[in-house]
Amino acid sequence: MPFSAARAAAAALLAAVIAALVVVPLVSLARIAAGAGPAGIWRALSGPGSRVAIGHTVAVAATVTVLAVAAGTALALAIEGRPGPSRLGPRLLIAGPLVIPEFVLGFAWSQAYGPAGLSDRLAGVSLPGLFGPAGIVAVLTVYGLPLAYLAVTAGLAARADPALERAARSAGASRLTVLRTITLPLLRVPLLGAAALVFVTAAGSFAVPEVLGTPAGFAMLPTLVYNDLSLSAAPAAFTELTVLALALVLLVLLALGPLDVWLARLRPSARPDTPLAADRRGTAADRVVTVIVWAYAVVAAGIPMLTLVLTALTRGPGLAPVPANWTLANFAAGFSGGGGVALLRSAGLALAAAIAAPLLGAAVAGLARGRWRGPLATVVTLAYAIPGSALAVGIIIGYGRWLDGSVTIIGLAYVAKFWVFGHRPVQAALDRLPPGLTRAARLSGAGPATAVRTVLLPPVTVAMVTAAGLVFVLAFHELTMSTILYGPGTETFAVVIMNSEDLGGVGATAALAVVLTAPVVLVACAAALVPRISTFSERSLARPPGPPPARPADGGPWFP
Amino acid sequence: MRIYRALVPTVPLLLAAALAACGSSSSTAGTAPPPRLTLYTSVTQGTVSAVMAGFAKLEPNVKVTVFRATTGQLNARIAADKHSGGLRADVIWGTDPLSMQSYAQQGLFRAWPLPDLAGVPAQDKTTYFWGTRELYLVIVARKGLTPMPKTWADLASPAYRGKVAIPDPAAAGSAFAALGYFDTAPGFGLDFYHRLKANGAVQVSTVPEVVTDVAQGRYAVGITLDSEVRAALKQGSPVVLDWPADGAISLYSPIAETVTAKGADGAAAQALLRYVLSAPGQTLIGKTGYQPVLPGIAGPARPAGSTEVYPAWTTLFGRQDQVLAQYQAIFGV
Repeated sequence: MPFSAARAAAAALLAAVIAALVVVPLVSLARIAAGAGPAGIWRALSGPGSRVAIGHTVAVAATVTVLAVAAGTALALAIEGRPGPSRLGPRLLIAGPLVIPEFVLGFAWSQAYGPAGLSDRLAGVSLPGLFGPAGIVAVLTVYGLPLAYLAVTAGLAARADPALERAARSAGASRLTVLRTITLPLLRVPLLGAAALVFVTAAGSFAVPEVLGTPAGFAMLPTLVYNDLSLSAAPAAFTELTVLALALVLLVLLALGPLDVWLARLRPSARPDTPLAADRRGTAADRVVTVIVWAYAVVAAGIPMLTLVLTALTRGPGLAPVPANWTLANFAAGFSGGGGVALLRSAGLALAAAIAAPLLGAAVAGLARGRWRGPLATVVTLAYAIPGSALAVGIIIGYGRWLDGSVTIIGLAYVAKFWVFGHRPVQAALDRLPPGLTRAARLSGAGPATAVRTVLLPPVTVAMVTAAGLVFVLAFHELTMSTILYGPGTETFAVVIMNSEDLGGVGATAALAVVLTAPVVLVACAAALVPRISTFSERSLARPPGPPPARPADGGPWFP
Repeated sequence: MRIYRALVPTVPLLLAAALAACGSSSSTAGTAPPPRLTLYTSVTQGTVSAVMAGFAKLEPNVKVTVFRATTGQLNARIAADKHSGGLRADVIWGTDPLSMQSYAQQGLFRAWPLPDLAGVPAQDKTTYFWGTRELYLVIVARKGLTPMPKTWADLASPAYRGKVAIPDPAAAGSAFAALGYFDTAPGFGLDFYHRLKANGAVQVSTVPEVVTDVAQGRYAVGITLDSEVRAALKQGSPVVLDWPADGAISLYSPIAETVTAKGADGAAAQALLRYVLSAPGQTLIGKTGYQPVLPGIAGPARPAGSTEVYPAWTTLFGRQDQVLAQYQAIFGV
């Protein structure tokens, strides 16, 4: 296809939108930080609070990455090799925490396993160190594990080669040798991708350290940036927080850089058209794995969410969660301060992001071909890696003069952050299309519109709807950026919940958290239980027919 | 691929339309806009809701937007405003005089515009802000705790090692006032916080959270507001209001007009100040669990023989950042 002038102009327009949403905030941060001069920057970075927070962020993110990727990979290898129908249940159990907002999961864990929590009350057992690094690592691992699991599962579908493994076993290699020399090397790309994704998520997390770290005086960079904002009346303090926000960006990019370089050197490998798993019968080992997965799901999400519901129904803190103490007053109290309006506002914002992100994603995927493809896709992908607190402060500096405290500024932040979720599915759908398919349709007599409608539109529409759903959930649950960007009359629902938690209203907080979480969980459960959709999901994990993609992905192979 | 070329120009339009759909309504052309009033406040939701409902009846034409958050979040909002075009609040109704004095030092307030209003005690007035209600910091204890702490100093005794919760002065204005009192009170000073820390006291976020944590049994005692303990008792929570024998720490919750308020909006701002300090406004404050600042208007009942102590506000004014930094060196941020 010739690279027309119109296409170049459209791509340039797209680049301008990307610059406006991603580059301007970062440059704004850098502009303020640079104003401090080298000595000021050094002072901001070397202060005792900053050094400790940087150390904590690196340590927590690295530990979470190792734990989540190791556990996610082990579970994926154990589950994805089993017969098809028996995979769905464990997959849903492991992926479950993804539909629970990070903040809600942290709060629910504190109520379930904290001192005087449900487990303490019933069995005299509480999780030591829940308020502090151990608790933060535990909850972020529960949140990161599904990301790793899904990335490795997708990798297994695209790259694993059961024939190679069977050959090695026939030649006498032990299971461990096969794992070490064949399976894991073939999974390097998704493993590194999973590691990067989990690291980015953990390093940028604000809600979990805020709920579980702040009571223990354990600060990480996102919480320090937020706390500094509350002390930033003095210009020096504001400069310091921009330096810290940039440090957080650099930290994440420094971790991603080597991974990206490594990934770029790896030759893309695609398995031949062999089935993902042999049709074998379930074994005793499979049953053990199932028990482990159930136990994990009950401890990681089941008990905390049950505690959340009980807390929402219990009259006052410190009372036993028994029917005699149940009430709906917490729901009324939670919604007394404009919670209903905030809920509608969050739904509206999430809907706006769910419309905009897939359209912009489709624009990047469709327009940015040739030499434009790499750089544009890279920026869109890396925009997700910019921690939310840094992006939000950058957006305030860049656009606050016109938009501060408005709902538009929150929407812009959502689109900048979640654009990639609109881009990746559409890009993947286009990459899966065999080249020349539209040309074949034209040669067979179809007009241009018919060719597009019958060949391109079906897979792209499915991808865009999927992307829209994903973006809606992420934006609906978003807290990190919203809590910095909200203003008078623009509170999002997640912000209302966070404020309620800050004010110690556990019952009201739990009630609002249930309202935030329940719709998405119910929709996810319904989707999972509809056989047709389940079948589609199952298929979508396997590579469709046709030649393999030219390369794993442009500008962000770490993104599953 | 042509379809995408067609889609691209529609993207900004769709985005703008979708965002506008969930934004606030636009003003109607051709009519004078009603006065608009933006209130930033850290006052408890129940009190703000009641007072603003009363004000709405009195001034139905004023379009009011309330931004309510903890003192720490209020500071963050004000900082964000200052770095993006200026303060957007017309009135700030805070929890404590120290935070309000910080705002005054930043030049955010107009000099108090209604000097003729009567009844507010002289010690609750400054050049820029006046008190609206009295708050009392007390000890909250878990029901059945023995021995009960009798004085503030008891909180640092070994009997409560690892069992004391204190609110964060950076997040909660009333906790900032407690810090201010202990900083200047004879026999305490910041050494009191050193002793608390050495005794395993834990900093939580806000004063209501202290009550929640004590009610849940996470801690045995804590420093909080009497109003919060009463609210928990009303819900049936297993806590006790423990009024210290050496006196509850009294602070006033000030209100001020900002330099942003101008013209009709400024008049609306002053109408709000007048209403909050009127008998009807003060009665609503009393009904929502706080002691009104005007004498003769009923607040919640206090234990017989209870006394109060006052932070040395004028000594503390100007030293807020220094005191907070010294505290944070002990308890962290």
